[in-house]
Amino acid sequence: MSPDPSHYLVVGALLFGLGAIGFLTRRNLILMMLSSELMLHGVSVNLTAFSQYHGQHDGQVLTIFVLTIAACEAGLSLAIILALYQRTRSLDIRLWTTLGEEELMPPMADSASREIEPPAQPLPKLVPAGRRPVIGADGHVVTPVLSNSQASGKGAKA
Amino acid sequence: MANWSDIALATIPAAPLAAAIWCGTVAQVVRRTTAHRPVVLALALSLVAAAYVLFVVVPGSVVDSPAAHSQITPIESSGESLVKPISLIASETPASATGEHHGPAHKAYIFEVYRWMSVGGLTVDIVLRADAMTALMLVMVNFVSLLVAIFASSYMHGDKGYPRFFGAMALFVFSMNMLVLAGNFIEVFIFWEAVGLCSYLLIGHWYHKPSAAAAARKAFVVNRIGDFGLMTAIFLIYRTFGSVDFETVLDPARLAELAAAQPGLITTIALLLLLGAIGKSAQFPLHVWLPDAMEGPTPVSALIHAATMVTAGVYLIARTTPIFVHSPTAQLVVAGVGATTALVAAVTALCQYDLKRVLAYSTVSQLGYMFMALGAAAASPALAAHAETFAMFHLLTHAFFKAVLFLAAGSVMHAMGDVIDMRRFSGLKKALPITHITFLCGALALAGFPLLSGFWSKDEILAVVWEATQTGDYKTYFYLILGVGLLTSLLTAFYTFRAYYLTFHGPERFPEEAGHHPHDASPAMAIPLYILAALAVVAGLILGPTHIYAHYIEMTPNFPTAAPAGMNVGMMILSTVLALGGIGLAYSIYGKATRPEYSDARPLSLWENVSLNGLYLDQLYGALIARPMATLSAVCEFVDRMILDKIVDAVGLIPIIAGGMIRPLQNGLVSSYAAVMLLGVIVALASVLRAIASVT
Amino acid sequence: MNWVSENIALIGTLVLLGANILLLFPSTGRKSGIPGFLLLPVTVAGLGWVFLQPTGDLVRDLLFYMASGTAVLGGLLMTTQRNPVYAALWFAVATLGVCGLFVINSAPFLAAVTIIVYAGAIVVTFVFVIMLAQQEQGSGYDRIPQQPFLATVLGCLLVGTMLLGIEKTFGPDSSRLSVDRTALHVSSLPVENDLGSPGGVGRSLFTDYLFAVELAGTVLLVATIGAIAIAPRRPQGSL
Repeated sequence: MSPDPSHYLVVGALLFGLGAIGFLTRRNLILMMLSSELMLHGVSVNLTAFSQYHGQHDGQVLTIFVLTIAACEAGLSLAIILALYQRTRSLDIRLWTTLGEEELMPPMADSASREIEPPAQPLPKLVPAGRRPVIGADGHVVTPVLSNSQASGKGAKA
Repeated sequence: MANWSDIALATIPAAPLAAAIWCGTVAQVVRRTTAHRPVVLALALSLVAAAYVLFVVVPGSVVDSPAAHSQITPIESSGESLVKPISLIASETPASATGEHHGPAHKAYIFEVYRWMSVGGLTVDIVLRADAMTALMLVMVNFVSLLVAIFASSYMHGDKGYPRFFGAMALFVFSMNMLVLAGNFIEVFIFWEAVGLCSYLLIGHWYHKPSAAAAARKAFVVNRIGDFGLMTAIFLIYRTFGSVDFETVLDPARLAELAAAQPGLITTIALLLLLGAIGKSAQFPLHVWLPDAMEGPTPVSALIHAATMVTAGVYLIARTTPIFVHSPTAQLVVAGVGATTALVAAVTALCQYDLKRVLAYSTVSQLGYMFMALGAAAASPALAAHAETFAMFHLLTHAFFKAVLFLAAGSVMHAMGDVIDMRRFSGLKKALPITHITFLCGALALAGFPLLSGFWSKDEILAVVWEATQTGDYKTYFYLILGVGLLTSLLTAFYTFRAYYLTFHGPERFPEEAGHHPHDASPAMAIPLYILAALAVVAGLILGPTHIYAHYIEMTPNFPTAAPAGMNVGMMILSTVLALGGIGLAYSIYGKATRPEYSDARPLSLWENVSLNGLYLDQLYGALIARPMATLSAVCEFVDRMILDKIVDAVGLIPIIAGGMIRPLQNGLVSSYAAVMLLGVIVALASVLRAIASVT
Repeated sequence: MNWVSENIALIGTLVLLGANILLLFPSTGRKSGIPGFLLLPVTVAGLGWVFLQPTGDLVRDLLFYMASGTAVLGGLLMTTQRNPVYAALWFAVATLGVCGLFVINSAPFLAAVTIIVYAGAIVVTFVFVIMLAQQEQGSGYDRIPQQPFLATVLGCLLVGTMLLGIEKTFGPDSSRLSVDRTALHVSSLPVENDLGSPGGVGRSLFTDYLFAVELAGTVLLVATIGAIAIAPRRPQGSL
């Protein structure tokens, strides 16, 4: 028997609110999931506080269920996030606005979304040793076309 | 086993309908070139059935009164004992009033097919109703149709729309049969429209020709004015009589009562019916569609626009004579319309170069004669019987000789490579002997040459008008009508033989479209020509002076009774003189070698121009009706497009703008949806808190 | 205005909280997060002073302040950290604080399970995925929060509403409410003596909540299958 659960409720409310703020501000898919877990924590604190207040197990049991569902959610969301990541090579939620009105793309364009540029120019790939790689105008390694005679002749010179 | 009368009655419309369905469906795919066979077969069946009706059913349908008891035929008694839906509705002729009635009173034989609808007080049955007038019309329609179908099987050979043509034709015969067999005004109206539709389809058979399409549309639109009159008349009839059945509406005793009480109403109904008849029968103000209808295939012109459909107006007025009898005003209008039409059409026909147009105007003119006869009853009710009899008689003979004329013209057209302009060919007498002789028979009959059919029927009409000048209150009026009739008679003979001489006499010339050697009518075309020509010659002689026709048609229930008409020898001599005079005049101008040659170079005189252009009526209608309508519609279009459409567009803009204001919310970003959700949660929580706080 | 002056402490604390969060957010213009970090203790202390007056039981209060402070601090920093890995770690810290609260609320079994599941499984998995998916340090989308002001205002409003509700229900003048506090307190069931022990929780789970347990098991199974089905196929050795 504890006196007043109000202290725990306050903490629960704060955690819940922080989680909500995190969910709204984060653009990383994984961190959005984490923010929602924080909201679940807030709820769990409330549940245990009432469990203590009433001297019953129900709150704790509910918390266990919350845990279970959170685990499921984590597993599924990670799978989904990975699938999305495969598509865009990015965890940005702003790339997934296909539910919106098409003409409004890009949504709420701000400085941040403009930062997302296409992947930087690919790193030059290593060529077999022995020759200095020729880098073309597009930044790629120009693979020299070798005929048999030339290859043998140049190879002899080198 | 239903009795034979019902089977006959049902066969008459059912056979052509079945043929039409066959042509419309199966024949479109297979057996295209033999699509005429089922139609000819069906029409032959219908003709046999119609003959059965003519000779057995109608004479057998007598009022079951003690006096006539012995005359009941076995057919009728078996019908009464076996078949329930048959009802023989007696409508007593007022035999007691005249006392001159011979033989038993007849009644209509009615075969109720089924009850179509029963709405409120209105009950419409689909019935097949046969009486003497119906039977005569049926035989005429099916007979001419059969011959025309045989003719057309050769004439239309190789046409792309062969099955379509025969399908429409069978459908037309079905509709016409149903129109004639109708037992109430609703049925009349339905099939009145149906024949109009078939006419439209057949005029526009060569719909790829703009002139044919325009002519079809014109026929339909002009007919619509008449249909409006008929429709309104039917509304009024229902409102007045509470029924649309012939038996109820055309009951003379009841009509007499009503006419005494409300003469204006009866006149209105009669005039509206007349408007309907004017439209369908191409009478004076609305006759402009018929000459244009010649754009259709010639067999169609012969069948629909000469022999059958256009006579529907005459039939309608004859059928509703009990109404017209009580309205002298309406009858005077009928006579006036008829006379005007006869004269106007005859004058127009004088200078036409198109052979078929000459015949078309002639048709209009002859229909005017029939109206003239029907209207002559205004002079005294005693004349009504004669008027009706001879109008119907002229209808019958006219069907024969006009059909033969048209078919012969079709034969000319066929041989001349579809050229019908009389300026481009002449002297076809040698090249087309069959066509020549049959055309001559028809032309003589039409001109009223003594002893031929046209002579008898036209002469009787003139005689009736003459009688009208002798009795009653409208002597001057009928003298005028008579004068017009006589003048028209002269003109008819003249223009008929003008066409005859221009076509068949003079130097032999063929248009280049005809090819090297024009061929005369093939057997399938020749046989109908011969039969019709023979009928054109003898039908009048057999049926007219012997009074066979007059006695037969008296069997029609509600038929006004009168003494049999005597010969009017004076009128006969007069009309003979006029006919011979017209023929002689035509011969003196066109029959000799020195006849005027038409060429485009020769300027036409004023009168020729007026006549050629049909008194400029088309142009008049164009200026008075069509152009103001076009202007009005242009104004309406402007208002619609520039004002109404803009208003509608502006209203349509409201949701677009409103939506545009809210659309940014739907940006697809999960976070903004979550923010909105959060806002909702806050509002909900706050309102709960407020509620709790306010309770205290 | 009357209402504002009555609740001036609540509003002030919330404004402080909001300002702190906004300061803590990373932004392009402001390189240093020092003011935010400096303000952090003030905010936490203010929250504690306004809402969490000591009950008098010293040990209990101390434990409570420690646990709740850890949880709230962890949450604040997790929300505002620009580096996702740090954010995940701060989440683990918050979880530890929450478990402390569980222990105080006589739920030691629950605390242990939570630590095992969250800190041990979920956070590790998350960090793992973050590490795998992170191309280079500090992607653009992690450096800039989206709609920070709107989110902060909404979050603070939500917290404020909830705190107001808690105060109205359990606060000193809660007697003004029509809510019967005895009804809130009293349970018809007898107080369980072994509250929070694994045995007690297990008995409750497998008697009263047996059906729910079965359901939860099914959900877990379905989630496992679903995760396997959704997870992208890829050639070996790549992500």
